[in-house]
Amino acid sequence: MRKITAGIDVGTGCVKAVLFEHGEGAPRWLARACERIRQRDPYQLAEEAYLGLLAEQKLERKDVAYVATTGDGENLTFATGHFYSMTTHARGAVFLDASTRAVVDVGALHGRAMRTDGRGKVLSYKMTSQCASGSGQFLENIARYLGIAQDEIGALSIQGKNPEKVSSICAVLAETDVINMVSRGISASNILRGIHVSMAGRLASLVKGVAAMEGTVLMTGGLALDQGLVAATQEALAETRSPLVVRTHPDAIHAGAIGAALWGAFRYDKLQARGQLGGQAAGRAA
Amino acid sequence: MTVTNRGTAQITAWCQELFDDLDFTVARKWKAAAPGRGVVAYMPVYVPRELIHAAGMLPLGILGGGENLEVIHGDAYYQSYICRIPRSTLELGITGKLDFVDGFLFPSICDVIRNLSGIWKLLFPKVYVRYFDVPQTYVDDTGGSFYVQEMQELREGLEHVTGRKITDEALRDSIAVYNQNRRLIRDLYALRSRAPWLVPTSELYLLLRAGMVLPVEEHSQLVTEYLAAAQAEQRPMRDNCRVVMNGLFCEQPPLNLIKAIEMSGCYVVDDDFMLVTRWLLDDVPVAGDPLQNLSTAFLHRSMETSAKYQPDLAQKGKYLIDSVRENGAEGVIFAAPSFCDPALLERPMLETRLDAVDVPHIGFKYAENSGQMQPVREQAGTFADSIKLWSTP
Repeated sequence: MRKITAGIDVGTGCVKAVLFEHGEGAPRWLARACERIRQRDPYQLAEEAYLGLLAEQKLERKDVAYVATTGDGENLTFATGHFYSMTTHARGAVFLDASTRAVVDVGALHGRAMRTDGRGKVLSYKMTSQCASGSGQFLENIARYLGIAQDEIGALSIQGKNPEKVSSICAVLAETDVINMVSRGISASNILRGIHVSMAGRLASLVKGVAAMEGTVLMTGGLALDQGLVAATQEALAETRSPLVVRTHPDAIHAGAIGAALWGAFRYDKLQARGQLGGQAAGRAA
Repeated sequence: MTVTNRGTAQITAWCQELFDDLDFTVARKWKAAAPGRGVVAYMPVYVPRELIHAAGMLPLGILGGGENLEVIHGDAYYQSYICRIPRSTLELGITGKLDFVDGFLFPSICDVIRNLSGIWKLLFPKVYVRYFDVPQTYVDDTGGSFYVQEMQELREGLEHVTGRKITDEALRDSIAVYNQNRRLIRDLYALRSRAPWLVPTSELYLLLRAGMVLPVEEHSQLVTEYLAAAQAEQRPMRDNCRVVMNGLFCEQPPLNLIKAIEMSGCYVVDDDFMLVTRWLLDDVPVAGDPLQNLSTAFLHRSMETSAKYQPDLAQKGKYLIDSVRENGAEGVIFAAPSFCDPALLERPMLETRLDAVDVPHIGFKYAENSGQMQPVREQAGTFADSIKLWSTP
């Protein structure tokens, strides 16, 4: 039976929403949206993004079998169910790249690594501690201090040949390091490269911590398209003689929302097989 | 108080006010409203509140100071490896927040609470303080006789405080009043188990907490009102997993911990919060000898918990498996206060029993002032996901 599911990922910096169609064969990705929150109400933004996707596909709310949230989307009142971010990013990563066996999700406020199997089932995970120095928010702050646009960070970082060492422990200390580097005349590319190396070291430790030994490490989340961070993570893993290949994907920022939509479909089928489709999802399949 | 048309949000807001009020204003007002009234505080897990009620006094449940009370004096009385509830309870006493209390009962839950009764006697010599012992032998002519005698001594102690006799007739009336309250709480738990989206556990918890400070008659009205409101409201059903929470019977979790677990995708369908409200499993007979009836109910029709001795190893943990099955739960979340001997010593035995019947479980510790909920969200969220996606039908 054909059914539509939605995935909504409420992140710290962006809200991502996707629609999938499930029937015979592989799931079909119908629509996507990604909105930066920019001090707006993330829940209102998420609902608007979702309704926008439905309108784009000429669908109504009742046509969607399962609306799954992830990230900080637990409180979205119209959702059918919620999945934790690690669960959804792993599934989304395997959808985007079937060779994925480990995922590094770097968002605005955290970094985490998961080891996954070919179904997207999380086998183990590690998260950065509460410190923000391994996060996108930290990188965004530094870029702002340096007067650099965010989409320039990756390309500039790759040009850096003599990266400056940055504190990998504390974002506050790291920011002080950066101020000192600017006053010492260190180039922006070497500063950014140093930050990427520092972040990559932490991310590589997380990957090592989940005992990923083979396959692709797919980077997801808001920093997945930062070429400088991807390259630095690959180098950090190579230094430990890890055979893992670090990759990214143009749609990596949607991985959480994709995973939510796919697990929503999986869960819908499971409930249906058990005869437990109650008020939460009953009658929504097209 | 009369039954009104308040919705669950308004009722919950009122309960939250009571929960937040560490000056116990409602209890103070109740006492001041008529001459001769008294207040007797009690700690978890169980005391026969009927005796206090029959004495014309207000039973006041004290469950520590919660997350908003800064403990300064209380820390001086306990080592660092002791849980937080005795410290914050002492803080309440030393800072005068319990200066209107005429008596304080410390039930037999663990050594720490037993020793707190001694400290309280030394610090507050004008207060009637009693370590309230309960039987560890569930045989009528030994444990039963002992318990009747314990209650008789409590009865005489309360009579001494008020200067009035507690008659059998008054005790029977009080048993009837508490029977009604217990029935309502059972109805509340049954509704939550049947339709947990109608009764969020954070609301149920606040409703139970209100019962710690309100007169029982008023609390019964409040629960009646909530039950009607909850069933009349349309609340969306979520695709959450159903869990039983265990280990929270003494020091209370921060309210945000309960909310974090619910937000993580769990419907809590049974728990061991404030067991005093459900300790006796069914109506205590009103006719006959009231103390004997209370004793028989305690011995043969009371709840199981870690703080209650279970001599039969084969029965150990059976109550938890029964709860999982009766409530259609898919897993168990063990949450216990740090350094809680009863809960943490029992946990491995309970986990073994759950493993034997393939019930998934996780466990963590908390303190009443735990502030960081992200690890709880992480554990409960991944646990809920693993049940929803990978459990077999």
